Amino acid sequence: MALFTFINGWLFISTVNVMRLSKMPYNLVYNLFSSGWFWMGFLFIFPVITMRLFAEEKKMGTFEGLMTAPVRTLEVLLGKYAAAVTVYLAMLVPLFLFFPIFKMITEQDGAFGNGSLWGSALTLILVGFFNVAIGTLASAVTSNQLIAAMFTFVGVMLHYFFGFFMGFSTLPNSKWASSMSYFSTVEHMQLMSQGLIDSRPFFYYISASVLILALTFHVVESRKWRI
Amino acid sequence: MIEVSRLTKCYTGHTAVDNISFKVGKGEIVGFLGPNGAGKSTTIKMLTCFLTPSFGTARIGGFDIEKDSIKVRQRIGYMPENVPLYLDMRVHEYLKFRGALKGLNSKKLSFGVGEAIEICSLKDVENKIIGTLSKGYRQRVGLADALVNKPDLLILDEPTNGLDPQQIRHFRELIKDLGKRHTIFLSTHILPEVEMTCGRVLIIHRGKLLASDTPQGLVRRRLEGGDLVVELDAIPGKASVALKKLKGVISVDEERSVDGWVRFKVASKGNPDLSEKIFELAVERKWKIREMSRRDVTLEDAFVDLVKGEGAA
Repeated sequence: MALFTFINGWLFISTVNVMRLSKMPYNLVYNLFSSGWFWMGFLFIFPVITMRLFAEEKKMGTFEGLMTAPVRTLEVLLGKYAAAVTVYLAMLVPLFLFFPIFKMITEQDGAFGNGSLWGSALTLILVGFFNVAIGTLASAVTSNQLIAAMFTFVGVMLHYFFGFFMGFSTLPNSKWASSMSYFSTVEHMQLMSQGLIDSRPFFYYISASVLILALTFHVVESRKWRI
Repeated sequence: MIEVSRLTKCYTGHTAVDNISFKVGKGEIVGFLGPNGAGKSTTIKMLTCFLTPSFGTARIGGFDIEKDSIKVRQRIGYMPENVPLYLDMRVHEYLKFRGALKGLNSKKLSFGVGEAIEICSLKDVENKIIGTLSKGYRQRVGLADALVNKPDLLILDEPTNGLDPQQIRHFRELIKDLGKRHTIFLSTHILPEVEMTCGRVLIIHRGKLLASDTPQGLVRRRLEGGDLVVELDAIPGKASVALKKLKGVISVDEERSVDGWVRFKVASKGNPDLSEKIFELAVERKWKIREMSRRDVTLEDAFVDLVKGEGAA
């Protein structure tokens, strides 16, 4: 968590410095969150947060104790998911404190608007829901934490790069290109960090997270009927 | 307390538990005995609702393990094999967590944890991290976890596995004591444990239930014929063949002494007059007899016989 905050603090200062040197068409929030550097660091935290959830329990054997206690599988799953989401949200708090602190010190009211701040926070929360769900699923399919971490990283990365396919398309207005943009985290962030709150990413991330958690539920339950 | 009816669990290629039925009454201490891989743990995992049976069913305290799984789990205190614990938690933290997980409210929780710590003599280590505890203490933490919600039924899967002899003795005493308040179903492959603690034994082998009796009853069954030790001055191979031909003899083991005599261990069933027959045979063949004695049959003999018999069939 400290490392995450430190890296983002360094990134924040670099973005401010770049903006001092030249005129920029977009605000500080947009510039920080559309940087590839931010996403590279950001996508690393999900494997770390989620790899232990089920894999550790299975490896240590405590999974049996947990599932023979009078609790439902859904309760266990949602409990673990909520715990991971809470850790994730706690990691975001220092990041979003940078902005008010920056305003207090520099008194630069024009650096960004409240809309972009809330929009980007909302995007990160939604992306977090989705990525933590991927991590939870990865941790449920294996009893090895390292494999769980690798699965999560690959899943999270694939999803992130999925949005870039739009750029590779030779026909800019083809159906493929426009439908790909629904999955593009980068594009969601670009819109939201300008203060444009769009309902499509809401439905996309929430429904995809629910779908992945439903899959995870069946993976956890599968021990009962597997032959 | 436990009613198991035609319980079966199939995996691809083999049947781990094959159509077993038994009952365990309230207040009984029942030992579930079988060699490694006999299906003990699979049966226990089904009873504790961790696995679903392929066929058949079981009821615990009147509740079905599939339909009322939560109610069943509320009535069970389960100590899994090898006692898995969260090693980075402190003993009292762990017990509090487990108690809360089992649905105890804060008043019952602190009382339940206190009592479990008391019963399992964990007072000295309650603030220690579980990872730093010895195997014996970890076993007791596992038992305290099973006891924390005061369940009607305790299911213990190989509870003395990996303990030293003194710890095993302590643990058995503890189990006997707990038997006064709880129904106990314990699985093991250690026979003296069953003889010392259990009122009834269920023997399982290759997924099938072979016997359900008191330890004394099993030994009595085995004693119908008796085990004889005979020391003869005879030609080893030939004498064994002749002894094996006698009615009721199951097996003959021979052992040569330094002075040329041969010691035969004759296991038999269903022939109470075997010693007379051996004597007559010795006279007929002109073998000298130095010793003939009846060997005490232990539960181990009864167990090995049952399992062997099933293997031969």
